[in-house]
Amino acid sequence: MSSRPTDPAVLGVVVDDRGVTARSRDEVILDVLFDGRRIWSFWLHRDGEPSGRDHVVAWPAALRTFLEGTARISVAVSRTGQVVFDEEVVLGDGEGRIDISDADGNPLALDKSFRRVKTFESRSREQMKPLLGAMEEVLAALHGIGVDAFVAYGTLLGAVRDGTFIGHDSDADLGYVSRHDHPADVALESYRIQRALTRLGYRTDRYSAAAIKVYVSEEGGITRGLDVFGGFLRDGKLHLMGEIRAPFASEWMWPLGTVELDGHAFPAPAQPERLLEVTYGPSWRVPDPAFQFVTPTSTTRRLNGWFRGLRGDRSMWDRRYSRPATTALEPSPFVQAVAEAEGLDARFVDIGCGRGADTWWLASQGASAVGTDFVRRGYAAAQERAQAEGADARFHFMNLLETRSVLGTSALVAATTPPGVRTVVTARHVADCVNDAALANLWRAGRMLLAGGGRMHVEFLTRRAGDGYGRAHRVFAVRPVTVAESAKAAGAVIRGREIVPVGDDADEKGSRVCRMVMEW
Amino acid sequence: MKKLARRVINQSQADLRARIASLEEEVQECRELNRRVAELTDVVTEVLAGVASDDQARVRKALEAYEAGL
Repeated sequence: MSSRPTDPAVLGVVVDDRGVTARSRDEVILDVLFDGRRIWSFWLHRDGEPSGRDHVVAWPAALRTFLEGTARISVAVSRTGQVVFDEEVVLGDGEGRIDISDADGNPLALDKSFRRVKTFESRSREQMKPLLGAMEEVLAALHGIGVDAFVAYGTLLGAVRDGTFIGHDSDADLGYVSRHDHPADVALESYRIQRALTRLGYRTDRYSAAAIKVYVSEEGGITRGLDVFGGFLRDGKLHLMGEIRAPFASEWMWPLGTVELDGHAFPAPAQPERLLEVTYGPSWRVPDPAFQFVTPTSTTRRLNGWFRGLRGDRSMWDRRYSRPATTALEPSPFVQAVAEAEGLDARFVDIGCGRGADTWWLASQGASAVGTDFVRRGYAAAQERAQAEGADARFHFMNLLETRSVLGTSALVAATTPPGVRTVVTARHVADCVNDAALANLWRAGRMLLAGGGRMHVEFLTRRAGDGYGRAHRVFAVRPVTVAESAKAAGAVIRGREIVPVGDDADEKGSRVCRMVMEW
Repeated sequence: MKKLARRVINQSQADLRARIASLEEEVQECRELNRRVAELTDVVTEVLAGVASDDQARVRKALEAYEAGL
């Protein structure tokens, strides 16, 4: 771990299109303010590039899009507030005033990972009330189902240090420490917690086998997600998702005490200072808006091995599906070919249905269709439309990276298929964007769904050309033989394969997909 | 002689590094079994009781509740 900055002299500060240049013999944390508002903080040496005696810290990508125009930029030593630069600066084309805010005018700043967030420092006490309400609600729900949850991470830090939220923070974190000491039991408990919250009407998202996000609806239709990190004590050490493994005594945790946040009492570990010390190090009392976890590899490996691996590229797909669809629900050429080959008197199950266009189209043609995906938001619009129009299209959550999800949802779909109805499983652009574990679960789902007969059709990219097809679909090229071997290892019998050119200019040099048919 | 000794030492250090890397992989493989055990136990606990009852409506209800809580 690098030594924490002290209080050195900072000289030669320059702010220009490259970023912030400064000189300091010792490491120092600097805050960058635009028109008096803190936007970004960094460690000069850790985050900068050496340039002679100076260090140049480039503007983070998340900030660059805003940097066209003029602003009063100040640079201050974070710990003391000593201003080491304060000038009107022209950046980019210099047109207009630089305004670092989102489309709705909410002020933005960068968090410790240099991501754009709506930080607390720009919000009034009144504006913080909904968050306090959401925290109280989720904590009450957790306590109601027997989970001794408490405020954790930055939220606990702010409460203990100042009795309020940390200005440069942007979310509230909750945690709990299980009474179990085996990771498998901790995971099982986390699954039970999620189910109990679902029964109470909360929407949740699973981040690992020991961490979930709980969504709370606020006034004005705003939805807020609160992270709930699970942990456990084992061999005298506290393990807490997502960063902690450190010596810890159970009496430091229980019985829970309380801390105050903006005048509200919240549950906290019995000795919160102990948790803060293992979280942020011995100097946790000194504010550091550019703090970054330096988690030992052995801790990351443990938490990864025990609990993680069920997200894959989920964040990317979440982002993609958070934008409205640019096109109407149009069927893919693949599903049209499958429908032609199989007829419509079957039950179609589309694994990895994305926005649900193929599922919707099959139902609109009179077939019975089911779509599954690990992003509920992806198929939400198709689901709503199907419900409104009474079409036989159903959608289910299925995460190929979580075996219990594959088993549960496949069994549900099989159980709701009328006896004597043939099943056809499709998976378009799945085998070309998932890892081996998810691919094994794709075959597992196929095998379960086709236990009573029927075929599985998969389509995947097998040649990625420069025509943008692979990028647009977020897929990589895989060899048909690799996919076939993987399916065969799961008991499939390959019944056919075909290479089909795709893309706008489908010619000999363009991208190609492979369509493969299999049975179990 | 010295050269030979150094070569032997270098070789045994490389062997040890390779063995540690492979042991680390094996340990991680074992850790990954944890989630699989938990997931299978969860499915069996939540769903099998319904299946054993031979009541199709109950099976379906159990499966629907399971999917909703994922």
